[in-house]
Amino acid sequence: MNTWHELVTASLIGTERAVVPAVAIPGLPPAGEAAGDPAAVLLDRAALLTAARRAGRRPDHAEPLPVAEPDPRPAVSPAAARRLTALLAGMHPDLLNEWLAVAAAHGLRPPPQLLPVLLDRARHAGAADPGLPRLVADAGGPRARWLAALNPDWSFVLADTADKAWRLGTAGQRRAYLTALRGRDPGAARKLIADSWAAADPQERLMFVNVMAESPGPADEPLLEAALDDEAAWVRKMAADVLAALPGSAVSRRMAERAVRWLRLEHGERGPRLVVVVSAECDAAMRRDGITPGPGHPAARLSDQAGLLLEIAARTPLRTWTREFGLTAAQIVALPAGDWGPPLFMGWSGAALRQGDGEWAAALINRALAGRPPVTVAELAVLPQLMRRADPLLGAPGVLSRPGPQAPPLLLNAMAALRFRYEMLKELADDHGNG
Amino acid sequence: MGERWDRARVIALAPDAPSLRAAQPLAARRSWPVTGAADGSALWGECRGSAAAPYRTVVDLSGPAYRCSCPSRKFPCKHALALLLLWSEGAIGPDGDLPDWAAGWLATRAARHADAKEPNDPKPPADPAAARRRAEQREARVAAGLAELDRWLCDQVRQGLAASQRSGYGHWDDIAARMVDAQAPGLAERLRALAAVPHSGPGWEGRLLEEYAMARLLVTAGRDQEKLSPPLRDTVRSRVGFTVRQGEVLAGATPVGDRWHVLARRDLDQDRIRTRRVWLRGRRTGRPALVLSFAAAGESLDGTLRVGTETEADLAFYPAAVPLRALVAARGDTGPGGTPPGSTVAGLLDGYAAALGQDPWLEAWPVVLDATPARAPRPCLVDAAGDAVPLHPAAGDCWRLFALSGGCPLAVAGEWSPRGLLPLTAWDEGGRPVRL
Repeated sequence: MNTWHELVTASLIGTERAVVPAVAIPGLPPAGEAAGDPAAVLLDRAALLTAARRAGRRPDHAEPLPVAEPDPRPAVSPAAARRLTALLAGMHPDLLNEWLAVAAAHGLRPPPQLLPVLLDRARHAGAADPGLPRLVADAGGPRARWLAALNPDWSFVLADTADKAWRLGTAGQRRAYLTALRGRDPGAARKLIADSWAAADPQERLMFVNVMAESPGPADEPLLEAALDDEAAWVRKMAADVLAALPGSAVSRRMAERAVRWLRLEHGERGPRLVVVVSAECDAAMRRDGITPGPGHPAARLSDQAGLLLEIAARTPLRTWTREFGLTAAQIVALPAGDWGPPLFMGWSGAALRQGDGEWAAALINRALAGRPPVTVAELAVLPQLMRRADPLLGAPGVLSRPGPQAPPLLLNAMAALRFRYEMLKELADDHGNG
Repeated sequence: MGERWDRARVIALAPDAPSLRAAQPLAARRSWPVTGAADGSALWGECRGSAAAPYRTVVDLSGPAYRCSCPSRKFPCKHALALLLLWSEGAIGPDGDLPDWAAGWLATRAARHADAKEPNDPKPPADPAAARRRAEQREARVAAGLAELDRWLCDQVRQGLAASQRSGYGHWDDIAARMVDAQAPGLAERLRALAAVPHSGPGWEGRLLEEYAMARLLVTAGRDQEKLSPPLRDTVRSRVGFTVRQGEVLAGATPVGDRWHVLARRDLDQDRIRTRRVWLRGRRTGRPALVLSFAAAGESLDGTLRVGTETEADLAFYPAAVPLRALVAARGDTGPGGTPPGSTVAGLLDGYAAALGQDPWLEAWPVVLDATPARAPRPCLVDAAGDAVPLHPAAGDCWRLFALSGGCPLAVAGEWSPRGLLPLTAWDEGGRPVRL
């Protein structure tokens, strides 16, 4: 079939300078010398040959791919699959990780056609969402590994247990190695961190603390407590945050001592109320425990002392209050506190998020819905986060208070997120029941 | 559509108050030396303004849609509004000959829109003699356009295609615009699409020659349409850009009743018009069918034919050598369709060859293939016999298809064309359709 090639060459040069080649098509009588415009002759011959080439096309040959290892897990229900599609299309994207974790925990697999977009999402997750690659790899199972073998962009799925990744890998690979090692052998991971600490740069020390923050345990406390004296401010701050949320840690005990000095329950003529006894300014010990002097949240526009109260409330174990006051979370958040209400609300919200306390989260949400409406932007901004951490059963119809008529849109959005999350987890749990 | 609109209806069309204010002084006979109206379906006029040349304004009342040679970006512009105001006052009478500059644009719109917007039983034209005269005028214009395109095509090949890669889009837009003026919108669209060919990667010269050669074949066939069989003549005329009214289609051949499986769907956005192509296949007859629907940008497309479902329906096919395009004449119950039976690669190629024998211009040929995707030497689908066809370069990575397959065969529906298969739907192991 070089005839076609000759025709193309002649057409490129142009019939002003090139001769029109003759065309022979198997099964057709050879074309004679055509009269007329050579350009028209060339086009007519090309049309004949085009039709012949298209109609006479033969199959190609190809190298088959290996077959993916079967995935024994049942697929999620069509409803759960539709919800995952919606999450990936940008609806409540911060619930994606929870969907993946819950599906994997229930032994379900996502629809295979969604794996490419999940893998791309995980590849670009970066420092903002370091847990996503692992979640995608676990939820994706053998099909994700099969795809990763075809596309090097997704090679993070192929867990690298060789310590080559630790010695020679990029920051991301080192982190993945450490996370995997911590999952297999937490003691060995701690030893590796301790041995590497002195030689590591601040970025890497921060990474060590972050890896511990994903699943902190009492055994991590010595390493974290030592990090409170690190020369890098971010490492100190992160370590203090992790320790404050670690039950029984020295930091949380020190914080509880401060808290009960600052905040007291008084029984006045009009019933119980919270009274803030402002003590000194931010001293060195407080700073070491992670408290930043000055307004805690720029959007909150708090006084220095309100900022300190917020920080302390956010770092104090929540059961300190229930034990100290002898009241439930719902009763405590409903206590009048005057101008100290907003910083306390935000501080407790931060504590509920860090400590993963669903009861407090629910109490705070209900307070925001039914009681005094949240005023500041910062207060409103913390609600969506609370909604995502709170017990998902709060999203069931009729559980939460109805928002008041002046409920701000952020609050309504947060409620919608909670309802979405409730439906999402219900679908995955139903699947589990059926499967 | 024949009735004149009242003033309020025209005013409601103004995009903003300044446009309306500017239009009012222009809505006077002395500003419009030339005006006309056709069957109450279109208006046109030349407006004398500050510029040396008059502005030429056309309004398609069925949209309504507007075209004006003025530089305004408002729709409608003040000229179109003024023309409508004049007409609403009864100052524009039905007038004879549609000028070329208005006819071309109206024909293009008709080709794109008519199918979607026409009522099912068109009323006979108000004036049969005028309608016949217009039809004759159009035939003459198209014939002149075909001759012009023939000269242009031969010029390209005479001078050599090597220059094409350096030409901008204007090179093809110019000849496409001349085909619009010649009321051959089908050819115009074909030519406009060619601008992308020189940048379509290695082998572009061959693809451009193929396109020019098939365009010349269409020109030749259009010139000698009397010698063609009626179905082939219908195919040639529709590819040139003559449209058949929905009413004629429904009144024409007997509709084909079958249980139609909705195999695939493809939406295309072009010139602010969205086109939805829905591919069907009859369970009993095995016939393929294509149902088109249209919407303006921002409007939603017809969603009644859902991919993966099966509908008992009567389809009326547009007349053609390979009848694919059809209208839903009547429909009954709908249910899930399951995995459709697929063919082999050899079966696909044989079917396409047979169809090409009827319509050599056929490009999008609907297929369902039982095959496994593979990546080497290039992305393709391989059947059980080891025969392969390439995936269309425009399909991209097709990772969804690969992920769904996991190296196992599956049913894939798509459009086959000379460059490869564009996969649109595949079925998972549970028989559920997955759009690709």
